[in-house]
Amino acid sequence: MNVPPERDSSGRFLKPEHDEPKPNDDDMHPMSKLLFGWVGSPRTPFIVLLLVVLICAGLVVFDLSHNRHEYLDFANANGFYAIWGFAAFALAVLSGWPLGKLLRRDEDYYGEADTTPQDVEQDK
Amino acid sequence: MSGLLGQINPGLLLVLVGFAGCFIPVQRVRQALMVATPVVAMLLLTLAERGTDLSTVSVLDMELILYRVDSLSFIFGLAFLIASLLNAIYALHTDDRLQDGMALAYAGAAVSATFAGDLMTLFVFWEITAVSSVFLILRAGTKAAYQAAMRYLGVQIFSGVLLLDGLAYVYKSTGSLSLDAFTSFDQPGAKFIFAAFAIKAAFPFMHNWLQDAYPKATIVGAVVLSAFTTKLAVYAFARMFPGFEMLIWIGAVMTVFPVFFAVIENDLRKVLSYSLNNQLGFMICAIGIGTPLALNGAAAHAFAHIIYKGLLFMSMGAVLYRVGTAKASELGGLYKSMPWTTIFCIIGAVSISAFPLFSGFVAKAMTMSAVASEGYVIVWLMLLFASAGVLEHSGIKIPYFTFFGHDSGIRVKEAPFNMLLAMGMAAFICIAIGLPTIGGFGYGWLYNMLPCTTTAPADVCMMTGDEIKPYSPYTLDHILTQLQLLMFAVLAFILLKRFGLYPPERPGTILDTDWLYRKPGYGMVKWAGTVWGKAGPAMTAFVTGIGVRTFEKIETTFSPRGALARGPLTVGMALWSAVLLGIVMLVVLIAS
Repeated sequence: MNVPPERDSSGRFLKPEHDEPKPNDDDMHPMSKLLFGWVGSPRTPFIVLLLVVLICAGLVVFDLSHNRHEYLDFANANGFYAIWGFAAFALAVLSGWPLGKLLRRDEDYYGEADTTPQDVEQDK
Repeated sequence: MSGLLGQINPGLLLVLVGFAGCFIPVQRVRQALMVATPVVAMLLLTLAERGTDLSTVSVLDMELILYRVDSLSFIFGLAFLIASLLNAIYALHTDDRLQDGMALAYAGAAVSATFAGDLMTLFVFWEITAVSSVFLILRAGTKAAYQAAMRYLGVQIFSGVLLLDGLAYVYKSTGSLSLDAFTSFDQPGAKFIFAAFAIKAAFPFMHNWLQDAYPKATIVGAVVLSAFTTKLAVYAFARMFPGFEMLIWIGAVMTVFPVFFAVIENDLRKVLSYSLNNQLGFMICAIGIGTPLALNGAAAHAFAHIIYKGLLFMSMGAVLYRVGTAKASELGGLYKSMPWTTIFCIIGAVSISAFPLFSGFVAKAMTMSAVASEGYVIVWLMLLFASAGVLEHSGIKIPYFTFFGHDSGIRVKEAPFNMLLAMGMAAFICIAIGLPTIGGFGYGWLYNMLPCTTTAPADVCMMTGDEIKPYSPYTLDHILTQLQLLMFAVLAFILLKRFGLYPPERPGTILDTDWLYRKPGYGMVKWAGTVWGKAGPAMTAFVTGIGVRTFEKIETTFSPRGALARGPLTVGMALWSAVLLGIVMLVVLIAS
């Protein structure tokens, strides 16, 4: 039986021999370790999400118990800013999909692909 | 003594030292001057008496007011001077005479234009800002930068020409060149001057010069450019067109449309340029409202914006300097090697997003309140949408894709010390003017400088001091609503990212309305050139051919070698001449 080179004899996909090399963190700036050492942890995304959800929930709950006095009546509705903020952000980001397809062209479209100024560091 | 010093125009000082700086070859001497001059200029400004003509000159029977300080020009002038100091520190690692000198001259021209007391002086410095700033783009040294610089210069000079047209109309109809606010577009010159300001303020469809030129400028150049030209135009609008309703709608559109371009743009300096447009929209909208609260909002926003936008451009410049690119698709994980730049960028990002405790919060609040209190519901909703949009492109996209996100594996040195110092100073101001008033710190310092305070004269605000109500940004309502808006937008970002709905950063050129003149427009001009190149010689050949053939015919007939001169016909010619003469004489005889 002919087996494609990337599969084993039972037809399963083989793990590629050379994984993309993991960037080296040994030479991390000492200040980075101190300030942002937590960023690289695998649990960080979940904890950040949890924190943001808790803060958002807290803000809505507080809004329910607090009587606001806005110039515009409809803005007094509980959670108005929350909904508007979420929807506006989502609309702006999601519009990126069709707009990207519509407006994105090759980098050299105007013949101006090279825009690196001459004052970048030369001897990196 | 202080009276005498108070009459020295700080802007003019910057212009003169800037131009002189272009000829000082010793780097450290030149740069010491570039740093010291804005400091001296700030001291001079504090000594200036408000509301009087401090320096005048008579040219061609026109009394020009070179230096006049009032509550509106003071805050803009001071912001420009602080920016020029930060820019000079940020540029210390480079040895570029032309860039150093022109950056200071450009700042000085903007300051001088701010303190100009008449339209002609404004025009002169308006043009100097255009001519001096173009070098900051040209010095990038690329073909793209050269072409963008030429387009930039053309647009800027055109704005100056419109201003000159406008002031000529004003002078002819009123006999005065004063900077009095217009009350209607029907006044002579109002439309021209409005158009001149509109170009420099990068109104929609006139905005392309900004996104075209700034990202192609030098690293230092982009930082310098971000501070002056557009805010000078904002000042000019606040001075001459406050309360024009059209500005409310234009401003609202300006806040919204760049959001969509910034989402898909890959070059982060271009993202910041779109963000600049969005921020200008808030200021223009506030000027359109024109109430004291709104004018204060515009001025405070301009002050805060000059600092945090400069800070964001500085952080992207530091990345570009070390890494060699500012494209989101190639960056990521830089917090591992540039922690200080990361922190300063985050401070700029939360300031522009208007998080409580940062400068954007206390500045934008006044504009939002002014728009809501005047009952412009749709405009207010547009500004609220744009506030979430700012968070997207400047608050999250810029720091996240540069310093966090996917680790690009790039490991570089931290930014040079002078860059960090300039960023640190800008970050300090962002926090210092954003905090609640504690001791000498806090937003109170900024609010005391605003154009419409209870002690400010009525000429700027069209209202006496007693009628102006003090504004407090740190109310429970405002903190709660702003945090709701921003935190739910952050939640949206995390969820969109988690579910793979956030569009990936891809390299490419994003088409904007400048496509119209850069592709079809340029194509038509090129086609017309080609057609003329071929049709011109053909037409010349055709006309010349007719001339040559006519001459040949006449020569073959009438010349000494011609048909009529040959043999018996010579006699014939004489005979025909006599006959013709006879006929003419006969006609004359009959006619008389």
